[in-house]
Amino acid sequence: MSNRTQKRYSYWMLTAPSIVVFVLVIMFPVMYSVSLSFSEWSGYGTPKFVGLKNYIDILSDPIFLHGLRNNLLIVIISVFGQIPLGFIFAYILYRRMVKGGRFFQTMIFLPITISSVVVALLWNQIFSASGLFTAFIRLITKNPRYVIGMFEQKNMAIIPILFVILWMHTGTYMVIYLANLQKISPSIIEAAQIDGASEGQTLRCIILPGMLAVISTTAIFAISGSLKAFDLIYAMTGGGPAHFSEVIAIYMYVNTFKYYKYGFGSAVSIIIILLSVGLILILLFFTKRLERRNE
Amino acid sequence: MLMKKSLLPWKIFAYSIMILFTILAIAPLLWLLVSSFKPHVEIVRNPLSIPQSWYVENFSRAWTQGSLGIYFFNSILYSAIATSITTLFALGAGYTFAKFNYRISKFFYALYTLGLLITVHSVIVPLFILETNVGIDNSRLGVIIPYIAFGLPFAVYLATGFLKGIPDSLEEAALIDGATYLQIFRHIIIPVATPIIATMFIYTFLSNWNEFVLVLTLTSKSAIRSLPVGINSFAGGMSRDYGLQFAALVIGTIPMIVFYLIFHEYLEKGFAAGVSKE
Repeated sequence: MSNRTQKRYSYWMLTAPSIVVFVLVIMFPVMYSVSLSFSEWSGYGTPKFVGLKNYIDILSDPIFLHGLRNNLLIVIISVFGQIPLGFIFAYILYRRMVKGGRFFQTMIFLPITISSVVVALLWNQIFSASGLFTAFIRLITKNPRYVIGMFEQKNMAIIPILFVILWMHTGTYMVIYLANLQKISPSIIEAAQIDGASEGQTLRCIILPGMLAVISTTAIFAISGSLKAFDLIYAMTGGGPAHFSEVIAIYMYVNTFKYYKYGFGSAVSIIIILLSVGLILILLFFTKRLERRNE
Repeated sequence: MLMKKSLLPWKIFAYSIMILFTILAIAPLLWLLVSSFKPHVEIVRNPLSIPQSWYVENFSRAWTQGSLGIYFFNSILYSAIATSITTLFALGAGYTFAKFNYRISKFFYALYTLGLLITVHSVIVPLFILETNVGIDNSRLGVIIPYIAFGLPFAVYLATGFLKGIPDSLEEAALIDGATYLQIFRHIIIPVATPIIATMFIYTFLSNWNEFVLVLTLTSKSAIRSLPVGINSFAGGMSRDYGLQFAALVIGTIPMIVFYLIFHEYLEKGFAAGVSKE
């Protein structure tokens, strides 16, 4: 075997297994999903082509629109809640403003290791009539009959879930930012502070511009993660009561696996991908503008 | 460096927010642990009390009634097999992307990057149909293969990034001595890549262990389901016995917390490496 054939042979030996699995399980099904989304199919017989009907039906369904609203709230809490909080924690640890930083870091990161299903059931218990949250509120308000009412209100049902999402994921962002902050040389900060820069100025003029690329990348993950949100909400409320806490992924799951509307379900999943791509493009547009302003 | 006075308000703010969030992170978990040792009646009567006696029956009953043993076994099986294969495949791909200057690598790498954005939900219907046609629906193989695939994009990303950073001279010396690329992969790349292998393995293991949707939709036989799905059924039909539920949740949580406390450095490195400046 000549060296060139040997090299080519090794290349395919090393690359092909992963490519084959990846294309078969992910790429091919995505294409199949796109074509199914233009048809009506319940799993038996041949799919019937219906053009854009599924998409029109979805976009005019009030349940979908309420789910979309909830998803956008999750995007907002992720981008404007987890990211700033995670950054603040990382900054505090990086600047060694607290003693025992290692301990705080470990504890705040802990929730991310727990499966969403366990987190969901745990928080359901916490919010239940005999739960930690209820007992705590009863203790401080001295109202022994208090129970949480948010889950029964159409516009509020998602709020406790938003809180749990914040509880679960903030640690991830903290760790990502901390690792990247540690790449900034401390001497730059010392030099700035010797020149008389305050902590706030250091943060605003040196640290934040340097972290912009990382923040933007994490925001991309936050957006696509938010639109995918399923496990936690499915196990917590199943989207109920009466679809109050519905999100798009649950809407898709129920239509597909409960009502056997495979074409319709595929169209919902394509909408999820298009939404992620759309939101990410908007984000990149704003990041570019910020970067230009900083130059 | 001397502490400056202007830092004092920052310190007060820092301590309060750190302590507040740490309590917020830990309190629910401690409450869960304590409650799991109380019988149902005691939990309902006084949610904040310390157990009067340590009621360990919750655990043995949850374990047997919820058949958690079999779910546990399946979780370990799925996570261990899929994670090992993902790690090996991704390392192979990462090596070729980083060191072989083939043009097609760019295309493959772009495919994996796209894969990072694709959700399980957008493939689940076709995957379900595909598995039914091939005849691996409702089987362990039908879970493991998608697990391997979904672990790949991030693992390939980690491996490629790491291997790009190692010097070419290592390989070149071996090539001159007449080694083949596959031998180089086995005897040079794998040993050199140990740190990133650990990160890839632990990160992928954790996400496979916690995975829920794929098992929920691709399987219906409870004998092949995994721990998250098994625990979820506790909340639904199983029982209104809170003690049992809490014990089941503790059983689902403890292994990962132990796992995390042992391996947290690698895990944090993995999360951090995922999003860094190029």
